[in-house]
Amino acid sequence: MLREFAALTRREFLKLARNPQAIFTSLFLPLVYLLLFGQGFNINPAQYLPPGTPASVGLAIVHSYFRGAPNYYSYFSAGMVGFVALTATLFIGANVIFDKLFGIFKRTRGTPAPTAAVFGSRLVAGAAQPLALAFFVLGLAVLFKHIPGLNGLDVTASVTALGAGEVVLAILLLALMFATLFLTIGILLDVPQTYFAAVNLLNLPVLLTSDALYPWGSMPAWMQNVSQYNPVSLAVNVIRETLFGSSLYPYSAGVYLLGLFAWSAVLIGIALVLVRRALRPLE
Amino acid sequence: MPEGGSIVAKELVKVYGGKVRAVEGVSFEVPPGEIFGFLGPNGAGKTTTVSMLSAGLRPTSGQAIVDGIEVGRDPEAVKRRIGVIFQEATADGDLSGRENLEIAAGCYGISRSESRLRAKELIDQMQLADAADRLAKTYSGGMRRRLELAVGLVHRPRILFLDEPTLGLDPQGRAGFWSFIQKLRQENGMTVFVTTHYLDEADGMCERIAIIDHGKIVILGTPTELKDKVGGDVVTIKTSSETPDVTNVLKAIPGVSSIQRKETAYRVKCANGETFVPLAVGSVTKAGVGVAGVTVKRPSLDEVFLEFTGREFREEEGPTATDRAVMMGRVRDNFARRR
Repeated sequence: MLREFAALTRREFLKLARNPQAIFTSLFLPLVYLLLFGQGFNINPAQYLPPGTPASVGLAIVHSYFRGAPNYYSYFSAGMVGFVALTATLFIGANVIFDKLFGIFKRTRGTPAPTAAVFGSRLVAGAAQPLALAFFVLGLAVLFKHIPGLNGLDVTASVTALGAGEVVLAILLLALMFATLFLTIGILLDVPQTYFAAVNLLNLPVLLTSDALYPWGSMPAWMQNVSQYNPVSLAVNVIRETLFGSSLYPYSAGVYLLGLFAWSAVLIGIALVLVRRALRPLE
Repeated sequence: MPEGGSIVAKELVKVYGGKVRAVEGVSFEVPPGEIFGFLGPNGAGKTTTVSMLSAGLRPTSGQAIVDGIEVGRDPEAVKRRIGVIFQEATADGDLSGRENLEIAAGCYGISRSESRLRAKELIDQMQLADAADRLAKTYSGGMRRRLELAVGLVHRPRILFLDEPTLGLDPQGRAGFWSFIQKLRQENGMTVFVTTHYLDEADGMCERIAIIDHGKIVILGTPTELKDKVGGDVVTIKTSSETPDVTNVLKAIPGVSSIQRKETAYRVKCANGETFVPLAVGSVTKAGVGVAGVTVKRPSLDEVFLEFTGREFREEEGPTATDRAVMMGRVRDNFARRR
């Protein structure tokens, strides 16, 4: 099982390394968001306060509006991690469909490699990309802070080793969850158009019911309630608590991580049943 | 009890979606070390039969026993014992030949160091050493088929299934591919089960041949036995007009055993074509019908195929497997360019 898994995982990473356009595209999307959208959208609710309002009041409003973050850009940078975890896993299922169309998947299925190795290898490669991208996003956002004229990520809490570990775990769980979801869809479907239709049906509602990009203070109450259960929000909350402090969050990072575990367990459980059925040794 | 290295099909049936009966009660036995040809028109049930024997499809009913193991009971064990060369290219174009082989070996649980050794051995054997570290998508058609064969052999199977293995290859590539198969068989005593669209290949390479049509085996035997069943020569006479019908005129000539007419063409089976032709031309002309052309054929597998399926071997409906392979190749190239 391990040898089969290792061989197939090697294949996934070799293919990734052979596709510099895909790597460039995956870096380009967050770069554009960080460099353009985040810069242009860097709203500040305190600017509308009447002159003479004490600075502490303005700061309190900003903190409340952005759940502890000192400005929108910092708030948004953490949200971008959730955004890339979703977008970077979108193509993982499409790759399976193309491998089916080109006979490569048939070759793998013709070998005795177990389903767990076939699925697991793609899952690992699929989850590794958003994890790497998440650190690219955070690193770039911090770098921008040091470039004159650009807004950047301002980390206001002291980040402990435990906090950093929680951030990595949150990103990993989120990436695994989405990779599982899209990989399962790719294994179940055979037509690229149907796959992309299904993916579009899922990714926008998931992203837009989270608090990854919207300022928390601008969201209507019903949307705030919905977003509490959204896995993207759960992961982003762990990152924001670690980077900006937890005082404005009802739960600790550990609770949000538990929520992510629950989501992952449910999705992986469903995926295992569906994928085992789809990849039975004899069709 | 079937021997190791043998293939046994017992009343194999495959029905798709409860309606389409692709294979209807196919039975045969292939002893160890034999090269067995499985021929038939498109949609006859060849690939479905291969898939059931090679643990890719579950039969609706019947039994497939490969290397002494019932496929339905232990498909994984069967996969370890067989090599399959599919009709389409399945090697990964984005990986080098060597990487394809090493990864394929890994899929059979072979260690990394052993995988490297086997990849090198097969690269040398298949004369791919110069291109071993090039991406497979840069390989010529012949190199690609040799790579497919190497991938199918990386775990040293006892039985090799070849589904249209030389599809799309030029005659030189086909000859080269078959010389590899012959060599392998001589060295390892491997059992080879092959479906092919090239009857000359089947005639020259296979010890026994089965012809399948509409999901049923219509004839099985050695190439010589099959040709003997056609009986005598086949003369095709083309007349200049459809009327009058000269079937009875031709039937009256001594030595004629059967006549099939299709528009202006009369396919006549007779004991001796050389003596029949002058008599036939004379009789047809005397009947007031012009002769537009005459061909004489010694019995070949083409004739056997026509005799038992009622169709010319190349007379297919819709795109042939070759057409599909060419179309798939174009799709693949376009996709690779876009990526």
